[in-house]
Amino acid sequence: MRQPSYPGAQAPERSRDLESLGVRLQLHEWGDPERPPIVLCHGMFDHGRGFDTLAPLLATRFRVISMDARGHGDSGWADAYAWFVDVADIANVLRSIGRPAHLVGHSKGGGQATDAAALYPDLVRQVVNIDGFGPSPEGFRPPGFELDSRSLPERFAAFLDRRRAGDERAWRPYSSLDDLVARRRRMNPRLSEEWLRYFLFHAAREVEGGWVWKVDPLAAGGFGPFKPEWIGLGWRRLKAPLLAVVGSEPDSWGPLPESLLQERLGHVPRLERVTVQGAGHFVHMERPAETAELVLGWLAR
Amino acid sequence: MARAVSEPHELRHGRVRLALHPLRAGAGPALLWLHALHSSAAGLASPTIDWPGAVFAVDFCGHGRSGWIAGGAYTPELLAGDGDAALARVGPACLAGEGIGAYVALLLAGARPELVPAALLLPGAGLEGGGSLPDFSGRMDPEWARQASRPAAAGDAAGEADPLVCALESDARPIDYAEAFAVRARRLVLAEDGGLRPAWWEAVARSRSAERAAVGEAWRALKRAAGS
Repeated sequence: MRQPSYPGAQAPERSRDLESLGVRLQLHEWGDPERPPIVLCHGMFDHGRGFDTLAPLLATRFRVISMDARGHGDSGWADAYAWFVDVADIANVLRSIGRPAHLVGHSKGGGQATDAAALYPDLVRQVVNIDGFGPSPEGFRPPGFELDSRSLPERFAAFLDRRRAGDERAWRPYSSLDDLVARRRRMNPRLSEEWLRYFLFHAAREVEGGWVWKVDPLAAGGFGPFKPEWIGLGWRRLKAPLLAVVGSEPDSWGPLPESLLQERLGHVPRLERVTVQGAGHFVHMERPAETAELVLGWLAR
Repeated sequence: MARAVSEPHELRHGRVRLALHPLRAGAGPALLWLHALHSSAAGLASPTIDWPGAVFAVDFCGHGRSGWIAGGAYTPELLAGDGDAALARVGPACLAGEGIGAYVALLLAGARPELVPAALLLPGAGLEGGGSLPDFSGRMDPEWARQASRPAAAGDAAGEADPLVCALESDARPIDYAEAFAVRARRLVLAEDGGLRPAWWEAVARSRSAERAAVGEAWRALKRAAGS
């Protein structure tokens, strides 16, 4: 099948890979390599080509490097996943550039980019976090999913049951790309069919019998202690200034209630906030030009 | 070095091969050892302790004769999956865990009460983790930071531990998290020797399913708990 096109989307000019903690990470690049670098970090179940509309606009002034997180896109799969390892991957990408970079992250990638900036201050200049401020205390619940009322050890037993089921890490194939688009549209109804067709073409591969997601089914399947009130505590140490971006519209994820957002962002020493009117969770996909203008304007100051 | 009664059995947890060592035969209730951090079945302090049933020890992933995971995301919950794979093979068994193995024994005793009649928690390497909270100071275990900045963890299970298992020195072990597992566990015996214990241990010791025992008495307490 021929690669779909989308207005304003540009395939990366270069690609390379990097070995980080035993996993191969795929990197996509746009713009003059001599220019100051920006690293882009995508969200859960997404991939680095989701920046194909934003990156070319940033590349007018920067070297733009978008990474496929481990278990996502064309990066390798790990045997297990954990937040701290994803953050270490970002640090290893930054180290591979050889000079401090700006970080722009969305959703999970925004939270991890912000954590990476707090933990590795020497590697990061400025951070843009697009709606990556963690789940609400009720947790993340996509439309149609019930709240889990089981106790913690019962949920852990279910996790162990899945691990016991063995190496069952294959997705059921969808009959066509259209099916993938329909499925993802149910989760993210604000994203247009045309964009999803472009975006999901790179999120899946054609196999015998249809299309399967590239993302590792285990990538979201870790288990461990986590408390919503931990989010933001580490950001007290941020040396880099942070631009926090949210959309104004309720979406399948976010934005957080204003009081919660203020609480978490209250830890950030040098903060600027922007709400993009009329956009949902995927601000950079819904409004690439506006997002680029915001980011370029802020980085220029 | 623990003397095995036969060659280790091979288990699988995901893509990783695990070594399950049969240390002793016996007809009574089985016992499964969970070793300390950076150790293995071969490093257990008293592996063939007088126990009425069969005794086994599993090498956690990244340790001993078990394989390394790809990617370095070592967590206590992942190691509990290794222990669970051993339980799937051995059947119901009491657990004895040293250090990180003690914390893993708690997780398993809470998750699999139908398979774990009692667990003995012993001190050892990796008992504390990073404390009750994640490390917000940015201090992060320096060994983990050093390993994480290497391009890749080379090598495989030639009896050497994966350097990335040092992540298990800095994971958060919140009190209420540990308590939730203690609440669902059947019997827990916590071995005391006057040494300092982490906050999660003290919280677990106060739960209804738990009793403290002096190290010299702990095995007798475990046998009693297993029989009750």
